[in-house]
Amino acid sequence: MLESAELYFNVDHGYLEGLVRGCKASLLTQQDYLNLVQCETLEDLKIHLQTTDYGNFLNNQTNPLTVSKIDTEMRQKLCREFDYFRNHSLEPLSTFFTYMTCSYMIDNVILLMNGALQKKSVKEILVKCHPLGRFTEMEAVNIAETTSDLFNAVLVETPLAPFFQDCMSENTLDELNIELLRNKLYKSYLEAFYKFCKNHGDVTAEIMCPILEFEADRRAFIITLNSFGTELSKEDRETLYPTCGKLYPEGLRLLAQAEDFDQMKRVAEHYGVYKPLFDAVGGSGGKTLEDVFYEREVQMNVLAFNRQFHYGVFYAYVKLKEQEMRNIVWIAECISQRHRTKINSYIPIL
Amino acid sequence: MSGKDRIEIFPSRMAQTIMKARLKGAQTGRNLLKKKSDALTLRFRQILKKIIETKMLMGEVMREAAFSLAEAKFTAGDFSTTVIQNVNKAQVKIRAKKDNVAGVTLPVFEHYHEGTDSYELTGLARGGEQLAKLKRNYAKAVELLVELASLQSSFLGLNVPLLISSQSWMRENEKSSIG
Repeated sequence: MLESAELYFNVDHGYLEGLVRGCKASLLTQQDYLNLVQCETLEDLKIHLQTTDYGNFLNNQTNPLTVSKIDTEMRQKLCREFDYFRNHSLEPLSTFFTYMTCSYMIDNVILLMNGALQKKSVKEILVKCHPLGRFTEMEAVNIAETTSDLFNAVLVETPLAPFFQDCMSENTLDELNIELLRNKLYKSYLEAFYKFCKNHGDVTAEIMCPILEFEADRRAFIITLNSFGTELSKEDRETLYPTCGKLYPEGLRLLAQAEDFDQMKRVAEHYGVYKPLFDAVGGSGGKTLEDVFYEREVQMNVLAFNRQFHYGVFYAYVKLKEQEMRNIVWIAECISQRHRTKINSYIPIL
Repeated sequence: MSGKDRIEIFPSRMAQTIMKARLKGAQTGRNLLKKKSDALTLRFRQILKKIIETKMLMGEVMREAAFSLAEAKFTAGDFSTTVIQNVNKAQVKIRAKKDNVAGVTLPVFEHYHEGTDSYELTGLARGGEQLAKLKRNYAKAVELLVELASLQSSFLGLNVPLLISSQSWMRENEKSSIG
C-alpha cells in the first residue's frame, strides 16, 4: 500500500506538485525580510517587493499607497494561484482543496448571516468576504429572513451543510451567539477534515494528521485562555474543543476545568510536544502563547515539503503564504505608523 | 471732568450722604468687577494649561492605540467587519453637568459605563489577548477625548465673558484715571 503513492501519484497530481514546489521556492527569505525591515516608507517597500516573486502586483494601485491596498492585492494574488491549482486538480485532490476552503467559507457565512439578519446590503458584505471562501450561493443569502430559513434555502447546498447539522438542530440556530456558532462549525470542519486525511492513508495522512492534530489542540488552548474572565461557562467551552487532537479525551477534560494560565500550563506539561512550547512563553522576547503556536505551525508546514507524493504540500504552501502576507502587512504597518520598536516581531519562515 | 459726567446736585447735607452712598456702591461694583475678571482669567489659564497637557497625551495614546490595532490584526486576522456588523448600544456614555465660575456657567462632560461588553467572545479562537489590549487602549483614548471636549467647551464658554469683563474693567480704569 505504501508503494502506491510513488507509483501513481504523479499520474494525476505530479504537475501540480511540481508547480506548488516552485511557488514555495519563491517565498520570501530571511534576506528579503531584512531588506523590508530597513525600508523607510511604503514606496520603498513596494520597490523591494518588486524584486521578489510579487513583482509588479501594486502597479495598478493609485497613490497614496496604504497597507490595506497591499493586503488586498497580496490576497488576490494568492487567490489566483489557488484557483489555478484547484481548476487543474483531479479527485481526491479536489476534495482536499474543498476542505481547505471550508475554513474561509465558515467565516464568510458568518459574515453573510450577520449582515442578512441586520438587513444590510449583500453587495457591501460580499466585498468584505474572503476570496478563497467563495461559494456559488453567496448572493442568494438575502432572501432568507431568519437563520433557519437561511440554512434550509441556501446553506444546504454548500459543502458546509454537514457541519451545521453536527452542531445543532434547526430551531436552536437562531439563539446561538455568533462567535459560538463560528467555533462550533470550525470544530466540525476540523474533525471532518481529519477523518478525510486519515481515511486517505498514505503519506498524506502521515503529514496532514499531525498538522491537524496540532491545529485542534492549539484551538483548545487558545479558546481556554481567552475564555478566562468571560461569561463562557466551562460546559460551553468544552463543546468548542475539537476532538481530533492529541489532547482528546483526557487533556480536553482537564482543560475544561482549568481556571487560569498556570493550570493550563500544567495540563500541557503532560504532553511532550506542548511542554517546550509553554516554556517558551514569556521569556526574554515577551512572546505570547499565540506567537509560540504560530512559530510551531510554520515549522510543521515547512517540514511538510520534505516528503513527496502527498497533498500536504498544498495545505502547507497556502498556510505559509498567508503567514508571509501577515508578516508583510505587519512590517508595512510598523513603517507607516513609524513605530519601529517591534518591527522584528514577524514570524520568520525560511 | 467732562460736562457730560457732571451730576446736577442741590448742595445739602442729605445730598452729600446720598452721594457718599452712591460712591461706595460704585467702588464696590468696581472691586467686584475686578474680582470677576481675575477669577475668569485664572480659570482660563488653568484650562489652557490642561488643554495643552491633554493634547500632548492624546497624541501618544492614539499612536499606542493604532499600533495595538496593527498587533491585533497580525494575530487575529481581519476582524473589522465582524466588529462593525455587531454594533449595538453604546457602552460608554456622556453626562453633561454645569459648573459655575464667577457667575459664568460652564459645561462639564463626564463619561460613564453602561451595559456589558458585547464583543466579549470576539477573538475567542485567535488573538483574544491582543483584542483585550486593543479594547483597553481605545477605551483610554475615548476617555481622554471626553476630557478634552469638556475642557475645550469650557474654554469657548469662558472666552466671551472674560473679554467682556476685562473690557468693562479697562473702560472703568480709563474713566477713573481721567477723573
